[in-house]
Amino acid sequence: MRGRSKQTQDFWAIRNVSLSIPRGSVYGIIGHNGSGKSTLLKLMTGIYRPTEGAITTDGRVAALIELGAGFHPDMTGRENIRLNGSILGLSRGEIEHSMDTIIDFAGLRDFIDDPVKHYSSGMYVRLGFSVAVHMRPDVLLIDEVLAVGDEEFQRKCFDHLYTLRREGRTIVVVSHGLGQLEGLCDEVAWLDHGEVQSVGGATDTISAYLTRVNAEETMAGAVAAAERGDDTARAGNGAVRCMSARLIDAEGQPLQHAETGRTLGFEVQMTCYERILGPNLRFALQHESGQLVTMMSNHRYGFDFGHIEGEKTVTALLTDNPLLPGRYRVHIDIFDHTGSVLIDNWDDAVEFTVRSARGEIGQGFVELPYTYSIT
Amino acid sequence: MLPMGRMGFTPEGSVWPIEARGRDSDRPRLTRVIADLYRQRALVWAFANRDFATRYRSSILGWAWSLLQPLATLLVYAAVFSLVFRIQAPPLGADPERTSFAAFLFTGMVTFNLFSGLLMLSMTQLRSNGELLRKVHFPAWTPILGASIVQLVQVALEVIVLIAMFLWLGNIGISWLLAIPILLGTALFGQGVGLMLAVLNARFGDVQYIVQVVLQALYFLTPILYPLALVESTASWLAWIVKANPLTWFVETMHQVMYSLVFPQWWVVPGLVLLGAVVFWAGFTIFNRTSEDIGELL
Repeated sequence: MRGRSKQTQDFWAIRNVSLSIPRGSVYGIIGHNGSGKSTLLKLMTGIYRPTEGAITTDGRVAALIELGAGFHPDMTGRENIRLNGSILGLSRGEIEHSMDTIIDFAGLRDFIDDPVKHYSSGMYVRLGFSVAVHMRPDVLLIDEVLAVGDEEFQRKCFDHLYTLRREGRTIVVVSHGLGQLEGLCDEVAWLDHGEVQSVGGATDTISAYLTRVNAEETMAGAVAAAERGDDTARAGNGAVRCMSARLIDAEGQPLQHAETGRTLGFEVQMTCYERILGPNLRFALQHESGQLVTMMSNHRYGFDFGHIEGEKTVTALLTDNPLLPGRYRVHIDIFDHTGSVLIDNWDDAVEFTVRSARGEIGQGFVELPYTYSIT
Repeated sequence: MLPMGRMGFTPEGSVWPIEARGRDSDRPRLTRVIADLYRQRALVWAFANRDFATRYRSSILGWAWSLLQPLATLLVYAAVFSLVFRIQAPPLGADPERTSFAAFLFTGMVTFNLFSGLLMLSMTQLRSNGELLRKVHFPAWTPILGASIVQLVQVALEVIVLIAMFLWLGNIGISWLLAIPILLGTALFGQGVGLMLAVLNARFGDVQYIVQVVLQALYFLTPILYPLALVESTASWLAWIVKANPLTWFVETMHQVMYSLVFPQWWVVPGLVLLGAVVFWAGFTIFNRTSEDIGELL
């Protein structure tokens, strides 16, 4: 499949792209924003025409580019199913035939005769998804619409996609959800500035893409670190103040992001204004979802700083970083040796991203050490 | 089953490549236009249903408004032009002793509104369906014709009122039957011009305002508010412009068959239908030629 599109001022959104997507396969397209993924999909649907080259499609194509794009707010769900079905190319008979399946799949039996303007946004997209996937396409094109509705509906969507796949229908997915793609796709093409960077098995292509993204981010180099100084009003008695904090690797070099399985350190520079005995410095790790992942504490670990004064640097090393990919925040606080007097507190000290060198995105927050056996 | 335009999706799964732009070798033949219209009838109908369902959904009087508006205009114009300007309508066909300015005026209004209504509606449809046309690939003229069907229902209501007026006046004749092909020609004419300008208006929004002004001028350059004889007797150069206006041909023929109950010369009505058909065919062809990148244009 080859498509080239020309836009104004001779900007080529897609050029020299030649792909062939086998019938019955699930094909992923990845790339950074503006790499031409969506343009390629719109070329496949026929919304755009190629300036040069041609696209050959065998069978009926349905596109999930924007769910519920054709819905009229004043019409009921049922009327909208009819209209949307007609626009997507279904005959009257086919629409009436799948009407009940569409309504039940969307889970909107009770509201189907209400105007869709009274629907929640979730109900709206559920109906749109349901109409599109039930038009029995030979080729289904999906653009970033996999994250639809609640957990239950999402699972239903994926189940349905797997069913379509088993039926030998071809699915082309454009997504930034690399974890989802790795599980779903047979093959993945990586587009970069409108050209194909690589094509191949899902895992290999996604890994190659991630490696590039990670490398580019390192080059661009915003280091995961923060300065605080002493001037901010904050909780604690102020005997010790955290001045700065940063993420480091096993060699003590500053890091831009962490990687699952690679040792990671948290380093804090602090100033002691008085001589102080055995404080407890804690790092709380919070996932972006708000969940506290763990609390690291030198008292819990059984490590006593002893008497400290002046400038000190404390490092906590997380060996073979078990954190799974995601965004995390570090909160820092210091208590005295009794654990009852707060000395210093620094919320949201450092924020950092954990990536995976391999494509996969695990479930949950951490990878715990485990072994399997079978008898 | 609806094959989706250029991509040629058929249930059997035949392979038609999407060609690069500028390679469309298909000749715009009348048979192809008719085949296209027939193939997409379900989609046109779906859009018509949408517009039917939503046109007056939030108003209480609903469809009554679509009649009240032209009737109010009729009342005002009839009062001003017959009472203030003392314009005399020609004698009624059934009774040369009597005249009815209101019936004369409404005959012209219905015909002109059929043309202008379809033209204005067709021109704005691409914009009002822009969201959809950017996201889904389907023939862009289907929502236009769908909206026109709804407009035709409104015109049918006006025609019923017109017939009621003439029945009340006792002005009935066999020549009425010719109104059907004349109105068909008018509709095709308005639809054709609308299709020609639709893509231009999608690109430059000014077009619809220009057309609005032109239509207003045309309204007065068509013998709707005055008989053609009146302008002929006063200013000859003006009469020339009025006679050159194609809408005058449609409106005058309607006056003949509905009001004066006279049969026009044999070639007039077929000529009007042919004119309408040719303009529609040209409009449809121009539209298909220019609307291929409408998804990018909107």
